Amino acid sequence: MKIARRIALTASLTFGALASSMANADDFSPELIERGSYLATASDCIACHTGPGGKPMAGGLPIVSPVGTIVSTNITPSKPFGIGSYTETQFANAVRKGVRADGTNLYPAMPYTSYSVMRDEDIQALYAYFMKGVKPVEESPSETRLPFPMNIRALMMGWNLVFRNDKRLAEDRRKSVEWNRGRYLVEGAAHCGVCHTPRGFFMQEKTDRYLSGSQVGSWYAPDITSDKMTGIGTWTQEDLVTYLRTGRILSKALAAGSMAEAISHSLSHLADADLNAIATYIRGVPSTKTAPQASAPTRFGQGKTANELSGFRGQGFANGTKGDQAGAHLYSANCASCHGYNAQGTKDGYYPSLFHNSANAGDNPSNLIAVILFGVDRETIDDHVFMPPFGDQPNAINVLGNAEVALLANYIFKNHGNPNLKVTPEDVQVIREGGPRSNLLAVARIGMGTGAVLILLLTTFAWFVSRSIFKRRLL
Amino acid sequence: MASETGAEVVIVGTGVIGAVIAEQLLDEGHSVLMIEAGPRVSRAEIVENFRNVPLGAKGDTSASYPPRPWAPHPVADDKPEDQYLQLTGPDSYAQTFVRYAGGSTWHWAGTCWRLTPDDMRLRSLYGVGRDWPFDYDTLEPFYVRTEHKLGICGPSDPAMQWPARRSAPYPMEALPFSPGEQRFTEVVKTLGYNNIPVAQARNSGIPYDGRPSCCANNNCVPVCPIGAKYDAATSLARLERKGANILVDSVVYKVETNARNKIEAIHYYDQHKQAHRVTGKLFVLACNGLENPKLLLMSADDRNPNGVANSSDQVGRNMMDHPQLTLTVTTREPFWSGVGPVVNSGIIETSQGAFRSEYAGAYFRYNNFGRSRFVTFAALKKGLIGKALDEEIRRMTACTADIVAAHEILPDPNNRLTLSDKKDWLGLPKPAIHYDVGDYVRKSSEVYSLPIGKRIAEAMGAIDLKISPKFSQSKHIMGGTIMGEDPGSSVVDVDCRAHDHENLFIPGGGAMPSTACGNSTITMTALAIKAADAIARQMRGV
Repeated sequence: MKIARRIALTASLTFGALASSMANADDFSPELIERGSYLATASDCIACHTGPGGKPMAGGLPIVSPVGTIVSTNITPSKPFGIGSYTETQFANAVRKGVRADGTNLYPAMPYTSYSVMRDEDIQALYAYFMKGVKPVEESPSETRLPFPMNIRALMMGWNLVFRNDKRLAEDRRKSVEWNRGRYLVEGAAHCGVCHTPRGFFMQEKTDRYLSGSQVGSWYAPDITSDKMTGIGTWTQEDLVTYLRTGRILSKALAAGSMAEAISHSLSHLADADLNAIATYIRGVPSTKTAPQASAPTRFGQGKTANELSGFRGQGFANGTKGDQAGAHLYSANCASCHGYNAQGTKDGYYPSLFHNSANAGDNPSNLIAVILFGVDRETIDDHVFMPPFGDQPNAINVLGNAEVALLANYIFKNHGNPNLKVTPEDVQVIREGGPRSNLLAVARIGMGTGAVLILLLTTFAWFVSRSIFKRRLL
Repeated sequence: MASETGAEVVIVGTGVIGAVIAEQLLDEGHSVLMIEAGPRVSRAEIVENFRNVPLGAKGDTSASYPPRPWAPHPVADDKPEDQYLQLTGPDSYAQTFVRYAGGSTWHWAGTCWRLTPDDMRLRSLYGVGRDWPFDYDTLEPFYVRTEHKLGICGPSDPAMQWPARRSAPYPMEALPFSPGEQRFTEVVKTLGYNNIPVAQARNSGIPYDGRPSCCANNNCVPVCPIGAKYDAATSLARLERKGANILVDSVVYKVETNARNKIEAIHYYDQHKQAHRVTGKLFVLACNGLENPKLLLMSADDRNPNGVANSSDQVGRNMMDHPQLTLTVTTREPFWSGVGPVVNSGIIETSQGAFRSEYAGAYFRYNNFGRSRFVTFAALKKGLIGKALDEEIRRMTACTADIVAAHEILPDPNNRLTLSDKKDWLGLPKPAIHYDVGDYVRKSSEVYSLPIGKRIAEAMGAIDLKISPKFSQSKHIMGGTIMGEDPGSSVVDVDCRAHDHENLFIPGGGAMPSTACGNSTITMTALAIKAADAIARQMRGV
């Protein structure tokens, strides 16, 4: 389920009149189509617009949200089922304004407010790619059917009026070309802030907390500012570029959850120059801390090798998983075969060590719980990292209950990560169900963005109306 | 939906055969009830069972799978009077199957040698054994489906494939050789033999079917701790998502026929010795070649006085395996086995040839088990302590190796499973098996396999060679419900359907008319998929 990253970005908006010369679709050069293909990768279109086991860009991915399930659409150049009959202007309006060719509004699960920073020439390249570089798929995914009032797409017009930011991303001439390119990608196609920037009451990104970390469903998107303690200020340029390309920096951090998706589908395929541009810009993002911080370890250097094997070996599984050594025994039974009996991992890092591992340190326990429950699936050019899940999936290697996950996580925090972190079975249940429950947050997380409050007001109103209708029917 | 008392298709057994058939029928929309004699145990528990087993007992695969009282299976340390299998004859048909949900693929090595075209025509070509009722090209598409279903890795180079006659590539490339295997391969090359990668149901370098890639625990037997090796237990939760109802701790003891001599129901005891009856349209016995014939013989009724499906009197006869001899070689130079899976390569070309008219073919396997647990006791017996002990364990770990010669065997009706008068915990008869590997195998060991094995040992630079004095079993149960076109001399037809009962299928190793030398599971599974196609046609009324 792609929930997390599909949030409307309320950043700058740079649409205006498209270039006056609209090319004929047949005139597109191979170079233009190729550039469009690259931009589609950078924008990660395929992640949402391809169903499970489905054909590329043919839609059909159910995006589950608290207001109902939004099904992604077919954006192949099929005329009856896709966007084959779109003109370039209609395409631009869909991508940057969230308006379909027939004039109806898209739901902001399509991050058009992020893509709105994209320049005309990039929109044209994307159009060329979708018309000529994508194979038409002559089938239609099921329709999105949200409950009233969310099924009234016209509501989005109001939402757009209030919340769409129509400000162009101006070139900052004091900064380098690389930095400006990085900002264009980070705020546009790559839309990093959608996950990494915490949100305020109206679900707006808190600009004063830009990229300083936020809960995203079951996972926690950490502080990626240049803060040396809580952020990634200790990372070199090479560290960050390597991480974006592979999702892995030995003894530091590993991508899982929606970051693994972003790396698999998008970031691992970007040119070195663009990864460097992104890294240059991200590394310049200032810390959001205002008060001086007490010195504390970063989330990258904590924990050490350890085991408690002598405490339970020989007792048998049932006995060994009951007492004080339960967490250690669960570790031995479920984790040690790959991560090592001392949690040391392998030298090549395919199986990471569990110490010096940011998932187990920092001050948020979500990512360790989530990785146990959901596993890791991260595919890059050279590698396919796959950790099986331990939730209740059909392919779970072992099905661990909330109490077992809590015991296991606490053992790992104590021995290999931040020993001050402790979780309860209830905490595990929260992560299992997709993260902390907040209607406002959850609605926003699927892309309703700053419109959440409006939607909630409308929902409340609708609820009263339907209740009164229901009562009348009863009478 | 399947209920606990019936379904369209009732499958007895939850091992690879039952699981593969269940999934295909579920995908076709049929309700499926699976009945398993043993318990359903988590991988975590089995892994920890293994780790808690004392070093000296780790070689016993059953030690990690303690049987439940109601579902006994062979256990190495049982006293003679407690033993489940009542074995007689010159050779011992000792087996290590487990009655657990997921079946004995829990502890298989994953080795997947296909049969060759010749392996299926022994009678025509060499005047021995039985021919299969169809040829290799008929079976081949089912091999391909098996390779994709189980996730079997194998070499893409045709020169390294066994046999090279195949219609589709393996879904994954073969795993690399360990240092010992590389060295062994070079050594046997000087003798003119090709040690080639074994195709194996193990994820090689990539995840497959929602399971992770092999991380080389070298722990395939008795359990893959991470599910990188296919075992049927990895598929059970998926079957349930697709609608299967899986009953565990439920011991089927009777197959009930009706007036038309079709199967009407099966009966099972739960763990509280309560009897239950389950009805269905079609029944599949998927308990492999030992429990299947036992159940058929136990189910004798007025219409079927010799047992269900046994008008031919072949049920329980022709019990086969791959009789094996182990050559333990001590070398001067280190070989170092133990990196990667426990079986990863083999010399299989020695299984073929015109000599098979006189004696059995053989397959030579350099066991890739890490050697430390085998040699530690020998090092201790030498009275060494401290650093000297460590060094001796290290030397013997590096400089010893097991070469296994596995033989084919011919179907012999006198190698026979019958019902013992000894009873198990539920009061059901224990299986009795009389077994003799026969002159065909013995002659091979005398004039063919052991001479080759000794030459290999010599070429390896052996300074010591120990050969197991007796044949042991490879734990590849075959033959007890043998397949053929003639209902008078065989139990099941070309689709593993009982000749005597049109709605009873008995797929698996029991059906195999010849063993060849390679491990049986891939052929058992290919037969199961062939049976599943036939079942699906029959359910559609075609």
